Amino acid sequence: MIGERMIAGFGTTALRITQEVGGIVVLTGQVLRALVPPRIDGRELVKNLHKMGNRSVPIVVLTAFFAGGLMLIQTGPFVKKFGAAGLAGWGAGYAVLREIGPILIALMFSGRVGANNTAELSTMTVTEQLGGLRALAIDPVRFLVVPRVIAMMVMLVALTVIGDLVALLGASIVGRAMLGIDWGTMYYSFADNLKPYDFLHGVYKSIAFGAAIAVSSCYFGVTVRGGAVGVGRAVNAAVVAAAVSIMLLDFFLTYLTG
Amino acid sequence: MLELAIRLAEVHKRYGRREVLTGVTLELARGARLGLIGPAASGKSVICKLAAGLEQPDRGEVSVLGENVVGRRESELGEIRRRIGMLFQNYALFDFLTVEDNVAFPLEQRGDPADAIAARVAERLRSVGLAGSERKLTAELSGGMKKRVGIARATVADAELVIYDEPSAGLDPVTTQKIYDLLAADQARTGASVLAVSSDVVALAQFVDEIAFLYRGKVHYRGKAATILDAEDPVVRQFVRGELEGPLDDLGQGSA
Repeated sequence: MIGERMIAGFGTTALRITQEVGGIVVLTGQVLRALVPPRIDGRELVKNLHKMGNRSVPIVVLTAFFAGGLMLIQTGPFVKKFGAAGLAGWGAGYAVLREIGPILIALMFSGRVGANNTAELSTMTVTEQLGGLRALAIDPVRFLVVPRVIAMMVMLVALTVIGDLVALLGASIVGRAMLGIDWGTMYYSFADNLKPYDFLHGVYKSIAFGAAIAVSSCYFGVTVRGGAVGVGRAVNAAVVAAAVSIMLLDFFLTYLTG
Repeated sequence: MLELAIRLAEVHKRYGRREVLTGVTLELARGARLGLIGPAASGKSVICKLAAGLEQPDRGEVSVLGENVVGRRESELGEIRRRIGMLFQNYALFDFLTVEDNVAFPLEQRGDPADAIAARVAERLRSVGLAGSERKLTAELSGGMKKRVGIARATVADAELVIYDEPSAGLDPVTTQKIYDLLAADQARTGASVLAVSSDVVALAQFVDEIAFLYRGKVHYRGKAATILDAEDPVVRQFVRGELEGPLDDLGQGSA
């Protein structure tokens, strides 16, 4: 009896996940189709770029600064022990540019922008605003979803670049203040050991993370059912889906591209 | 042969386990005004959405303004929808736009010149009593004001077919009368075909030519609006008079 229930529960969950993944793939196809030819509502795009990007800068700067500093605090004892101050910047920079920066900023972006996007779209869905657009012969995917997807992808890359720079600054300040590593040593540690690819590795990850956050947050927004309770469920599902996608994408991108 | 604005033939529609429409046949002639009444959850709004091409029937035929809408893709339905104005029961106002931008939206999408849009929007907002509220966001409005913005938006483009889902819900009696006078004047000016759903049977009867009564998933009765209050059908009689005793004791929510 319990076994049957477990199998039934497993099957139901598997079906639901398959349905949602399928829905996200279909929405991705609709977004791509809407881009050919690229007829995007300029006002919506600019509004979303501002709302999603500019307003996220303070929280990204704060997070990145402390993340960079934290890298130095963690590696500091070993740097001191082995007298390898010249490698402190490399260690922190390598971790920040390739992993910590893109992941942390993507998770922050998902929690702030992705969740907000789902809440907005799902509220519009349950109040029939998407139906209102369709009644006026306007495709909600083209009008609402496409500008949001583009804005999220562009802005996550921009925020990741800003975050990377701030994290390196944070690492330098903490290195100087807490470990006594001078500015020059830290600069040459970055410049001599980090390669452009380390930076680009994080940037292309952020493109993938941005796409995952954007499409999943829009998908759960436009497919919501059931009023205010449904909006809450949709936001929850979007944040979880984005977090899982970020981790899976990070694993496979790191594995495949080194 | 009579030219039709809306033609539904043997339309069935199911949501989950509940079959809302069980073979609705309904016609609206071009230039005519038809009222649709019925108990709550009897499928009136579903018929509005079918007529606007926003829902597809499970079975049956739906033609709007001479075009078949069944099985058509979204991109194909755009041309038909541009000829329709619709007021949604829950307003469906865009909360990311101001009042005037909401009303201007259909004209902007149609590509009208900016000065013509501004003049038309100002006229529409004056006519629904919302002059001075142009810059407000829809979240700042009361339910009745939202309804009036929805009416202004539905009528701003002088559509060939206008569908009003509960145009007087949330309005006081005086405003209700003003709104129906406005809708009647608009219809007389444009010659548009009108489908109006309302629970206010008395006010609706003064606006439309005929009234259809939806019950148990079908059009149970159709007759002249002027005589609806004297209808001999016991179900219609009980509904329009609001009597507690009668054949309508299940409020039309049965599975039929």
